[in-house]
Amino acid sequence: MHYPEAISKLIESMSKLPGVGPKTAERLAFYIANKMKEEDVINFAKALISAKRDLMECTICGNITDKNPCPICQDKTRDRTIIAVVEENKDLIAMEKMKEYRGKYHVLNGVISPINGIGPQDINIPSLIERLKDDEIKEVILATNTTIEGESTAMYIAKLLEKTDIRVTRIARGLPVGGGLEYADEVTLLRAIEGRREIK
Amino acid sequence: MTRMKLKQLNLQNFRNYEKLTIHFNKNINIFIGNNAQGKTTLLESIYFLAISKSHKTYRDKELIKFGSLFSKIACELIKDDSKIKLEIIISPQGKKVLINEIEKRKISEYIGTFNVVIFAPEDLEIVKGDPANRRKFIDVEIGQISPIYIYHLNQYNRILKQRNEYLKQVVNNRIDYNYLDIVTKQLANHGSWITQSRNLFIQKLNKYANNLHQYISNFVEHLTITYYSNYALETNEITPEAIFSLYRNNYQRDLIKGNTQLGIQRDDMHFLVNGINVSDFGSQGQQRTTALAIKLSLIEFIKNETHYYPIVLLDDVLSELDDVRQTQLLNSISDKVQTFVTTTNLSGINDELIKAADVFLIDNAMILKREGDSNG
Repeated sequence: MHYPEAISKLIESMSKLPGVGPKTAERLAFYIANKMKEEDVINFAKALISAKRDLMECTICGNITDKNPCPICQDKTRDRTIIAVVEENKDLIAMEKMKEYRGKYHVLNGVISPINGIGPQDINIPSLIERLKDDEIKEVILATNTTIEGESTAMYIAKLLEKTDIRVTRIARGLPVGGGLEYADEVTLLRAIEGRREIK
Repeated sequence: MTRMKLKQLNLQNFRNYEKLTIHFNKNINIFIGNNAQGKTTLLESIYFLAISKSHKTYRDKELIKFGSLFSKIACELIKDDSKIKLEIIISPQGKKVLINEIEKRKISEYIGTFNVVIFAPEDLEIVKGDPANRRKFIDVEIGQISPIYIYHLNQYNRILKQRNEYLKQVVNNRIDYNYLDIVTKQLANHGSWITQSRNLFIQKLNKYANNLHQYISNFVEHLTITYYSNYALETNEITPEAIFSLYRNNYQRDLIKGNTQLGIQRDDMHFLVNGINVSDFGSQGQQRTTALAIKLSLIEFIKNETHYYPIVLLDDVLSELDDVRQTQLLNSISDKVQTFVTTTNLSGINDELIKAADVFLIDNAMILKREGDSNG
């Protein structure tokens, strides 16, 4: 069966989004055409265009922003001597929700993964190294995920900084806060034991 | 007392079964029926509930009944005094595993609750087949008792894939040795852990299998199982550091081949009967005896590691064994191990076994008759 052209274009566009298959794309397209108010559709379309036109990657830290440099990089009250390296923008958002971290960020926009054709030069590693030439920076916190690729990427960056005076730390892994030992799986427990700390 | 019993099995849209519930009251349960009626499928479902994989296929999708959207299998276990409900839902998107109605996100959190040992015609492949069969055997059996092993193995395989892809892509004059060092170090960490764990497993297996094999062969044959570690070809020291430098010494070879030459993906084990490699030079009978001894020794191995006897599944193998081997098998099982047997007919099966068993007649994915139920 043939869709009207407007619908098939819409389906095609929707399918380009992650997590949206042909069925969902079709459902969303018909929903927009049949059910949504014109005003809402116009706002939606404007928001889409603005998301692309008005947003950019911060040239300093790689964060998605509407001002370059981004508000975090411009914030004079934040600690300029510490940088947390994260994989994605959403990780930065998660860190910010904590409201405790007062240092700066560097968003890699990916991890090293030859399977996906992504090498060290394809993510924001060169810009990180460039940035670290600034004498002010005393510590780099490697806050990439605990997946294999997140781990390799963290180790890779640590190796690059081996000969500098910068302190390089890796976020801790192990038990969730408030979690009892009995509910943790064996691998998490193993990590918790490996990452144990002296308290005396 | 440590006891594990399978009390109930539920199948929904699993292979040719649309819907089925069976209760088990006895230690020995025999499924009898003609070929292609669904006997093996029952054992396959029990195996799947324990290992979360089939012993027949690696494509889970094949298990979904034709025309159905998903398949659901569940069982109720009694372990000591507590009831445990295991459940697996298989759909084309993947599978979901649950213990007592709680979904486990990682397979390593699921496996190990319920241990089985299966005896199937395919067992001969462990002895006769290529090394991949033996590695799969090692991985499944260690995995049954050690979730951490599964974790290390998954990590190793993932890193190996990344490393091989990198070796394939890299242009000679632009090798990033920093990255190569890192994936190699990760590979060495997991690889040395797995090697030690495989070594220990095979040592234990060797001890049990040795005794059993002597008995089955009427004390004329002597079985030795040896681990053939790929790392051990080049070093005696299985530590992350030693393995890492071993890899480093072979960078050029890996770069030329575009592939990781060294590692646990090349491991093997050898079965020597009276000093002769039975995989290559043994008779059919010697190979069968060896396969049986290995599987029997797993029963003791699992018992010793977990304190519970595993549940034993005998898929079409009982009638193929001669008297001595059948007796040995039955001695190992005796009254302590719950056993499920498939067969096309009862002739050739030990009378005592039949007397002690519940017999289920399977016809076209249905249970037609249940015998010997009076004193269950």
